[in-house]
Amino acid sequence: MTTETSDDLFIPATGSSPEVDFRFASHALSLRGESYPENAAAFYGDVIVRTRSYLESVPASQSVTVDVALTYFNSSSTKMLFGLFNVLNDAAEAGTRIVLNWHHDVDDDTILEFGAELHEEFPALDFHDIAVDE
Amino acid sequence: MNYAEYRDFSASVADRHIIFYYFGYFSQHIVSAMADAVRLQLEQAEAAAATRRKIFSSFVEMAQNITHYSVDSLTPPALRDNQLRQGSVCIGIEDDRYYLLSANPVAAESVDALRAKLEPLRTMTLDDIKRAYRETLRTEQPEGSKGAGLGFLTVARDASAPLEFEFEPCDGSDAVMFYVKATI
Repeated sequence: MTTETSDDLFIPATGSSPEVDFRFASHALSLRGESYPENAAAFYGDVIVRTRSYLESVPASQSVTVDVALTYFNSSSTKMLFGLFNVLNDAAEAGTRIVLNWHHDVDDDTILEFGAELHEEFPALDFHDIAVDE
Repeated sequence: MNYAEYRDFSASVADRHIIFYYFGYFSQHIVSAMADAVRLQLEQAEAAAATRRKIFSSFVEMAQNITHYSVDSLTPPALRDNQLRQGSVCIGIEDDRYYLLSANPVAAESVDALRAKLEPLRTMTLDDIKRAYRETLRTEQPEGSKGAGLGFLTVARDASAPLEFEFEPCDGSDAVMFYVKATI
């Protein structure tokens, strides 16, 4: 178990699921692509479990960077992402500095609004809205 | 169908401004491939970026609803992965607006629950819908749901008119055909 928490988590993208590149050893977590897997609860459930166990072992002085660049996510992915950010926010409240870089297309109001929602709901995260002009 | 009939059929599809139609089995792979086709079609039609995103999102929600909930299933009802269920989806243009239609059989016992979920959405303003969406995001996953209980709210949020729906008895079966229409 102790080795597992420090192992990085990499899941390659598919046509309907994002690339998960969680480099726990370098404290850099990245999600990119499109997210509408058949079973979002199962897909993100594993990601959340691994992230939670990583956060339990991370030194309080460590800063963690999370980059999210999802161009589309369906309703069940939205729900699971909210759960993932909740876990990150809990760790931030406990003292770990967590930077969330929220990348989205400059014209995508839905993703912009969801980012604003996250910013409001999870104030312990150091939230950065990054509008990308394609 | 001979060539002349096929020509008439194709002309009638074009006359009705139907840009996409599929009837058959829905799996995750099929939905993903159709989503690519829909995206390409919308790019070619030069629909505005915001409109394209709304149609794409509504398409995925409606198609995945069929994958998850149609009672015409080739896979066991309790199975959560690699499901295969039958239904249909259609995207067309009417009065200069895009619309999506979907149809799939549901169990007669599900009708009341679906009605109770959809009927209130019809009289909600966009602000009401966004508020309900935010509340649902914070609640536990509803029992019997394979999603987040957010699917219809997501479609309603992207629609420019109240969602329409209808139930109709299926010939020779106890199931009920469930239709949903979203105008974007």
